[in-house]
Amino acid sequence: MKKLVAYITTGYPSLDFTVDMILSLKEVGVDTIELGIPFSDPVADGPIIEKANLKALQSGFKIQNLFDISKEIAPQIDTLWMGYFNPFYHIGLDKFISEAKKSKVNGFIIPDLPFEEAQPYKSIIENEGLNLIDFIAPTDSRERIKKIVSSSNKFIYLVAYAGITGAKHSEDLMPIIKSIKEFTNTPVYVGFGVNQATAKEKAKGVDGVIVGSAFIKILLDERLTNSQKIDKISSIAKEIKEKINE
Amino acid sequence: MKDYKDIYIPKATPHDPDSNGHFGIFGGRFVPETLMPILEQLRVDYEKVRFDREFWSEVDYYYKNFVGRPSPLYYAQNISKELNAKIYLKREDLNHTGAHKINHTVAQAILAKRLGKKRVIAETGAGQHGVATATVAALFGLECEIFMGAKDVARQELNVFRMKLLGAKVHSVESGSKTLKDAMNDAIRHWVTNARDTYYIIGTVAGPHPYPMMIRDIQSIIGWEAKSQLKSIEGVLPDKVIACIGGGSNALGIFNHFLEDDSVECIGVEAGGLGLDSKHGCSLAKGSPGILHGQLSYLLQDEDGQILEAHSISAGLDYPGIGPEHAYLKDKNIVTYDYITDEQALDAFVWLSQKEGIIPAFESSHAIAYLKKMRREDIEGKVILINLSGRGDKDMIQAKDILTDVTIKQK
Repeated sequence: MKKLVAYITTGYPSLDFTVDMILSLKEVGVDTIELGIPFSDPVADGPIIEKANLKALQSGFKIQNLFDISKEIAPQIDTLWMGYFNPFYHIGLDKFISEAKKSKVNGFIIPDLPFEEAQPYKSIIENEGLNLIDFIAPTDSRERIKKIVSSSNKFIYLVAYAGITGAKHSEDLMPIIKSIKEFTNTPVYVGFGVNQATAKEKAKGVDGVIVGSAFIKILLDERLTNSQKIDKISSIAKEIKEKINE
Repeated sequence: MKDYKDIYIPKATPHDPDSNGHFGIFGGRFVPETLMPILEQLRVDYEKVRFDREFWSEVDYYYKNFVGRPSPLYYAQNISKELNAKIYLKREDLNHTGAHKINHTVAQAILAKRLGKKRVIAETGAGQHGVATATVAALFGLECEIFMGAKDVARQELNVFRMKLLGAKVHSVESGSKTLKDAMNDAIRHWVTNARDTYYIIGTVAGPHPYPMMIRDIQSIIGWEAKSQLKSIEGVLPDKVIACIGGGSNALGIFNHFLEDDSVECIGVEAGGLGLDSKHGCSLAKGSPGILHGQLSYLLQDEDGQILEAHSISAGLDYPGIGPEHAYLKDKNIVTYDYITDEQALDAFVWLSQKEGIIPAFESSHAIAYLKKMRREDIEGKVILINLSGRGDKDMIQAKDILTDVTIKQK
């Protein structure tokens, strides 16, 4: 069975909503939650997730809120914190590690902490029994893929195209997937631009998909009530989970 | 004495970063994985030309014939008399397009062309870097897109028009603080998407490795020339070298060749905005180490590590971060850093205009203003070199709104 990872920006429209949303996603078959940490300058993200980040911050999101609500979420579903490196660096990685362990969060996804810069931190994180997810991009050479995946764990985040989240781009990933599989048995999940329409195609040859913008677009739709948002996002998640396993 | 027929070629310095771009704890490459192979390739490509006479000969041709280098070193006779010191201005304001930015856009465009790139992109604050990029794009037949915060588009409308006239497409960036920081976010997003055929001409000594080192190398022609010019006029080293700092390219450009001279004090002047207890751009004075735009450096940030908005009257200094080498030089106590407020900069803007007949850019006005902030004993009888990094033409509309006939006279 192929896996579905759902990205949700923490704290928008509210912290309670984030908890309810994620518990509903668990019910429809989402395997892992990428709990997004709002950041002022999310450079790997497209306009949809950027907007959700800024709205969460405008409505008063603090990192302490992340720590608090994770205790309601992570014991129920496999959860990773996804965020830019500066808050980790500024508040202290040790604080994030101890809070993650307290709330049963399993690891971190940090898109602006590539392999080389991650070196001083990766072993510290892993020695605490947590994961730091590795990224592979379509611009990577076979040599670089080998270097990165040799120390991978949990899953490899394969970026579907050169670009930012939520764009309508696609690239032929088969040669890259083949290279990754040559060097590791770690599952490969593909993210960026995965939605109801593209999920089946993007899931080819990989072990799972990561979906963000397709959900966050609904999250930002101000015509919908909170419960309508939860219903709609959950039904999209259900549909995607079915499609990738057809 | 150096012969100006000599061609400027960068030299390795004791402050060069390691192969991953770290200046001590600062610098590095904190970017999405997609960009890592691109940056690694750029590092290798730049290392190939870094000390290559042929490459720098081509750059030199355009410096001499297109930019108008060497820029003059001008003895500012009237303010020197007023302050009882010898004040020399390095006239980067006389470069083609009006600032030091053209130095690195020429060299980077030649590099981009060599690498077979057809498109260049750039972020811009005051618009000087955008204009300098649009200019070299026109010269070398490259497609050009410029990212500029919406607030800066409004306060620098002349530069926006200049960029368009030169054939560039200008994107007005509406997110966040709508200034340089957000322009850089969008330029990075565009670059991640188009990295294979697009060269990103970063406008200062910031961003992921190799940019901070590469742009410092290129801009160091300023200090290389000035040192030699001053030697032939005065026969001495300056006592102090002063430059304004946003990202820090004109400052490192003039400091670099003096960093190993113990008798020379280099002073970087940050944008004090409305004052350090209010809104400002002093990432060194009031910030703390953090990660933004691909580098670890001093940043204005809150307790959660969210980036704060900077403020300065000058769009070119309105940035919450600073180049990583400056962060390193600060922590090593190699360079002195201080600040000048909007008000002090405006005073200096009028002062230099009326005393010397030179209208400085708002950015450079911060460096000029520092002359009046220094204690008398630190300035009297001293030889002082100031990087006049840009001219004030671009600031005329904004200045006209702030300064009335009365206030000009009062100042």
